[in-house]
Amino acid sequence: MSLLIEASGLGKAYPKAHRSADRLRALGRLLRGREDTDSQCVLRNVDLSIRRGESVAIVGENGAGKSTLLKLITGVLTPTTGQVKVFGKVGALLELGAGFHPEYSGRDNVAMAAALHGLEADALAGRLPEIIAFADIGDYIDEPVKHYSSGMVVRLGFAIIASLKPDLLITDEVLAVGDESFQKKCVRWMESYLADGGTLLLVSHSMYHAQKLCRHALWLSHGEVMQFGDVFEVTQAYLAWHERKQAKAAERSPTRSGLEFEVEEFQINGVGGNLAEVVSFGDTLRLRTAVRSREGRPPVIMFGIVRADGTPVYGVSSEMDAIEVRCDAEGRFVAEVEFENLSLLPGSYNVRAHAMDSEGVRLFDSEERGLSVRGASREFGMVRLAHRWLPPGADRD
Amino acid sequence: MSRLTLATHFIRRELRERYRGSFTGFGWALLQPLLQLAIYAFVFVQIFKARVPGAAAPGYVAFLVVAMWPWVAFSDAVVRSTTALQDNAALIGKVALPREILVLAPCSASFLLHACGYVAILVVLAIAGQDVHIARLPLALLMYVPMFAYTFGVALIFASLQVFVRDLVQMLGQLLTLMMFAAPIFYDRANLPERFRSILDLNPFTFYVESLRSILLDYGDFPWRMFGVAMLTALLTLAFGHWLFRRLDPHFEDFL
Repeated sequence: MSLLIEASGLGKAYPKAHRSADRLRALGRLLRGREDTDSQCVLRNVDLSIRRGESVAIVGENGAGKSTLLKLITGVLTPTTGQVKVFGKVGALLELGAGFHPEYSGRDNVAMAAALHGLEADALAGRLPEIIAFADIGDYIDEPVKHYSSGMVVRLGFAIIASLKPDLLITDEVLAVGDESFQKKCVRWMESYLADGGTLLLVSHSMYHAQKLCRHALWLSHGEVMQFGDVFEVTQAYLAWHERKQAKAAERSPTRSGLEFEVEEFQINGVGGNLAEVVSFGDTLRLRTAVRSREGRPPVIMFGIVRADGTPVYGVSSEMDAIEVRCDAEGRFVAEVEFENLSLLPGSYNVRAHAMDSEGVRLFDSEERGLSVRGASREFGMVRLAHRWLPPGADRD
Repeated sequence: MSRLTLATHFIRRELRERYRGSFTGFGWALLQPLLQLAIYAFVFVQIFKARVPGAAAPGYVAFLVVAMWPWVAFSDAVVRSTTALQDNAALIGKVALPREILVLAPCSASFLLHACGYVAILVVLAIAGQDVHIARLPLALLMYVPMFAYTFGVALIFASLQVFVRDLVQMLGQLLTLMMFAAPIFYDRANLPERFRSILDLNPFTFYVESLRSILLDYGDFPWRMFGVAMLTALLTLAFGHWLFRRLDPHFEDFL
């Protein structure tokens, strides 16, 4: 497959120009063809090559240079060092309502945006109904954009890009603004776009979207590439890094103690700590927790699995299944549960262990860890339900 | 081709933008210079008793109109273009587009509007019995071509410098007033004392004023001796403006 984006040694620095004297000096320097020395570096030495048909998520904390990288690729910014080449048509959704004029109607703005993307007037006329249908904002299409809600702006922006069918689609965290149904519509559209050989570059703080839509990921930190590779590996590493950072912050906070029931240990497939774990779809998942009970009374222990966005998937407690929680050598109460042939569909989840009182009424302590289920499955939803397809004409009883 | 579509879009938007919300709409394009002309005509004809020197001299109003309309087109274009990049900062930071178009749009819009106004007022003057050679109008409009090239060049220079030096727009009004009075718009070369006359040739606009008066009013000879210099000035200004703009273009975003 042919190369679509090629960047080498890409870097961007912004000049530090606060006073007008600085600006004048900068102008003089630029005219003499010298580079500004006094500058703030936001992106350093990025090498990137992306082939046609690839899908890459860009992850990283705020200010890591994600948006700058996208702007360099779209050509809005000029690199300070290195160079970037794009061999195709780019459709970019960089910021909310970028390029929209608030005083003009949606229809006028569509015409303008189309012209900005190099679409001729007659070509646009053919696609206009399609755009309006996709945006699905009703009569608002003839209202000035300043009366739009932010969701409507995104709808219109995405509808335009979708109709352009670019070689490279770039989106910068704009999906988060749309409502649930529109997000789903966008994700569906992107999936079919990718299936048709489109290339996607996505900035997202939602690991769920990143893993769902992308096969590769690029992790930027302080303007430098930390890791580039398989989306699961990179997002895992990124989340783990985040958790280490949080753990460091937590160390400084006073430790909780004196709880009647306290979760002391939470293992996923035998691995303790607080890092996220990866497990393959269909494999065995084993959760084990140890709870310290201050008065020696046996707790009720509960395990729960939630989607990364917090949607509960499954929860079960020792009390529900009438399981007796046993003491280990150190006097801690230990419970272990095994999910054989794991039916969680590939994606990002959190698993939790809860310590409750002996009656299973009050919750005392919880521990949560990330769980990434790896695998290739195009099924929808969160779990695979046992099913079989019936042959046509089969007897039904 | 797509650049052309884009340019037309921006010019159309610019035209709509200028008269959006006003009752008379494009009528203002004609009304504004007309009012200005009425004021000047009153001040110069009634108060200062201005006379155009020469035996077969045209009336002062026609004399003024022929030179002032192109000047209004020029100064309007320059004033509006100077802040064009600054006004479109939001667009520049978010959408990749050839930025010359942002300067081209206000320039073209000014010239389109005021060229239309020019034609209209000349026709009105001819109907009113002034000695205007309407048949030579196409020739007069041909003079607008190098004038536009010159204006666009100046606009490119000012627009790109304005990004870095925000004081420029403050000085612009004074600069343009100076340039206006340093061109024979309100007076004729013959009105000046002998020793000042050659100074007029330093002003690129002098050529357009004198050539248009020659074409439309048969007033004075066509300034052939300045023709080559004027064309070269227009071309060089455009070339320099383009070069400067290109040079600074990669850094606009950083300083907006």
